[in-house]
Amino acid sequence: MPARRPPARRTVPSGEAGRRFPGFDVLDQADAWDPATAATVLQRLQLQPDLRFFTCAEEACAGALLDLLLAQDGPPQRPEVPVLQMIDARLAETQTDGWRYQDMPEDGDAWRATLRALDEDAADRHGAPFAALPAEQQRRLVQTVQDLHGKDWHGMPAAHVWSLWTRYACTAFYSHPWAWNEIGFGGPAYPRGYARLGVGARERWEHPDADPRDPAADSQERT
Amino acid sequence: MRRHLAAARTTLALTTGSQRAIRERNASAWLLPDDGSRFDRTQVENMRRFDDNDEVDLVIVGCGAGGATLAQRMAHAGWSVVCLEAGPFWDPDTEWVSDEAGSHHLYWTEPRVISGADPVPMGSNNSGRGVGGSTVHFAGFVPRLHPSDFSTRTDDGVGADWPIRYEDLRPSYERIEQELPVAGQYWPWGDPHAYRHAPHPVGGNGEIFLRGAAAAGIEARVGPVAITNGRFGNRPHCVYRGFCLQGCKVNAKGSTLITHVPDALAHGAEIRTEAMATAIETDAEGRYATGVRYLRGGREHLQRARTVAVAGYAIETPRLLLNSANRRFPEGLCNDHDLVGRYVMVQGAPQTAGRFTQEIRAYKAPPPEVSSEAFYETDPTRAYKRGFSVQTVSPLPITWAEHVAAQGHWGHDLRRYMQDYIHWATLGALCELLPQAGNRVTLATERDRYGLPVADFSYSQCDNDRAVIAAARTVMEDILRAAGATEVITIERYAHLVGGCRMAQDAEHGVVDGDLRSFAVPNLLITDGSVLPTQGAANPALTIMALVDRAAARLTAGARAGLRAPAGGGAR
Repeated sequence: MPARRPPARRTVPSGEAGRRFPGFDVLDQADAWDPATAATVLQRLQLQPDLRFFTCAEEACAGALLDLLLAQDGPPQRPEVPVLQMIDARLAETQTDGWRYQDMPEDGDAWRATLRALDEDAADRHGAPFAALPAEQQRRLVQTVQDLHGKDWHGMPAAHVWSLWTRYACTAFYSHPWAWNEIGFGGPAYPRGYARLGVGARERWEHPDADPRDPAADSQERT
Repeated sequence: MRRHLAAARTTLALTTGSQRAIRERNASAWLLPDDGSRFDRTQVENMRRFDDNDEVDLVIVGCGAGGATLAQRMAHAGWSVVCLEAGPFWDPDTEWVSDEAGSHHLYWTEPRVISGADPVPMGSNNSGRGVGGSTVHFAGFVPRLHPSDFSTRTDDGVGADWPIRYEDLRPSYERIEQELPVAGQYWPWGDPHAYRHAPHPVGGNGEIFLRGAAAAGIEARVGPVAITNGRFGNRPHCVYRGFCLQGCKVNAKGSTLITHVPDALAHGAEIRTEAMATAIETDAEGRYATGVRYLRGGREHLQRARTVAVAGYAIETPRLLLNSANRRFPEGLCNDHDLVGRYVMVQGAPQTAGRFTQEIRAYKAPPPEVSSEAFYETDPTRAYKRGFSVQTVSPLPITWAEHVAAQGHWGHDLRRYMQDYIHWATLGALCELLPQAGNRVTLATERDRYGLPVADFSYSQCDNDRAVIAAARTVMEDILRAAGATEVITIERYAHLVGGCRMAQDAEHGVVDGDLRSFAVPNLLITDGSVLPTQGAANPALTIMALVDRAAARLTAGARAGLRAPAGGGAR
């Protein structure tokens, strides 16, 4: 079988340092994946289709929102999972999850409406579009939406807006092999399978967690 | 001691039994290729094909757990069968992937509206599409219902009584368990029984459950799962790749695509894919069904049949009946008593995850591993009726991210939580939520690509539902803490979907009788999960298949229903 490992860099997405699984690259296993799976996963490393769904204003707002939600906020040269392009493609193809809340528009319209609402909030409070604001002001506006929970936000229940944003963002981001590198996920395992099952057991190619302390306990200690 | 001996004896008898009777009844596992590919495409190419004008003995709508099982049983019995399936005929080798986001096409993603006080998201978790339906991506847990499930109204004052007893279903349970086949430890709950195949080894998640349950004094068992342990026919052993919910590329986990469709095809059934049913046709007076109208390739067709069976599941089956309104049934076919679409149920499925210093790596084995039904029945010391079961669930990264995001984490907080992924073990409960008339499918004003009104599914919990979910959460948190978790988090979600055309003793209380025959139209059957009057705390697939096995036996034993058109022109 020809070596399938793409020449892509060994990395984790922008924003975090990748200190838990240094050196682990799930793409090193690409030769062990079945062809259909390899094609699906490796496509995410290739050039994504041009934006077709979002308008320029929506592109700016969604890009800033997604960078915030997923903390892809490293220096410009750091690799970013192309979440905006992936979501744009889904919306352009109306690849929904097959349902919408009765009190929300269809997903595509809901994205447009919520981005417009975010820009309105930004204009009301800071006199500029969302994307033009400093990160801290953006963060506060987004936090406001989350804190509303079930209450109304621009005619939509805020919780349903939050669910829309995080669902699309997480699905795109954690489908990417760079995100798998960051969390130590072994990835596809067909036809080889996993041989070493059980607590503390690792395949020979899986990397141990370099810092297995509980990050939540950590932050409790800090506060 | 005597109980343990009986368990050992029945286990031995089962595990050493011959497979010949299974193969004679359903040779599907032996009709699969043994050359490393997963489905014999020549079976599809050489499939018998009927003409719309052939009045076949049976047309089935939907090829999932119920539809495929019925197709196999009736074709095997010599009936001419056409099964209409809206989705494609899957080729597991080229069309399924070991990847979460890449498996989106396995779900029913046509538009639906969800409403009510506690709306139920659809899609990946509770819908299927294509040959095999949702069994393609179900986890594979296949517990039976308990005898107590069949009379909750009489015994517990909640839910509904079934028109059949557990004993009526036991032989069907046994037959389907052999055909899937099911692997697991001796099952001590409900009607205690053994399984023919040994339990699978468990991964980190299952190990944590077993450890925590033992420490907390709760009985837990490995299995029962529809995953081959050792070769079965031409199906190979599980390789523990962890992607059960994305369709099994190994052919180890059973789906009706491989457990019943091959034998159905071998006996002359036609599975007509990409065929979206739009209405059930009746004679002018609405006395009997005459066939099914469907769209295929953008054109409308009408498959004529002497018997019609609907197996579109709890949303699409009521929707099809409601969309089949005619002069005799102005409110929807079989809807004289305003019961079609009502009493739809989901199980409360809170998920609790525990954090461990050691690496769990829950993704490295099938998500269904260990289960407990110790809290299944009504406990008189508790303030609620009925109960729940607890099972391992092993979320893959996207699902886990949704779990973490549901806790309110985002930004760097989300990223850091996610980097802790391999340290978490996750349990899920299945809570028996009660059937309520207001939890129902109706038609929305919005229309889909086919021009049909889409389903609106409204769902609200009652007080008993909330109490059961809260109790399940406490038990799962106790188990994980007993296993040594340093932190536990719980999110609320739902699983499964049944009801909507419940079976009952008479037409005032249900849409179909215990043989799954509709009260209103004698040659119309409903053969899917929508017939369940209550749902217990068990995953529904095995029960759906067992009900269909029983209904098929009743159908073959009786005379072929309906009028036969004069012979001539057909492919018979």
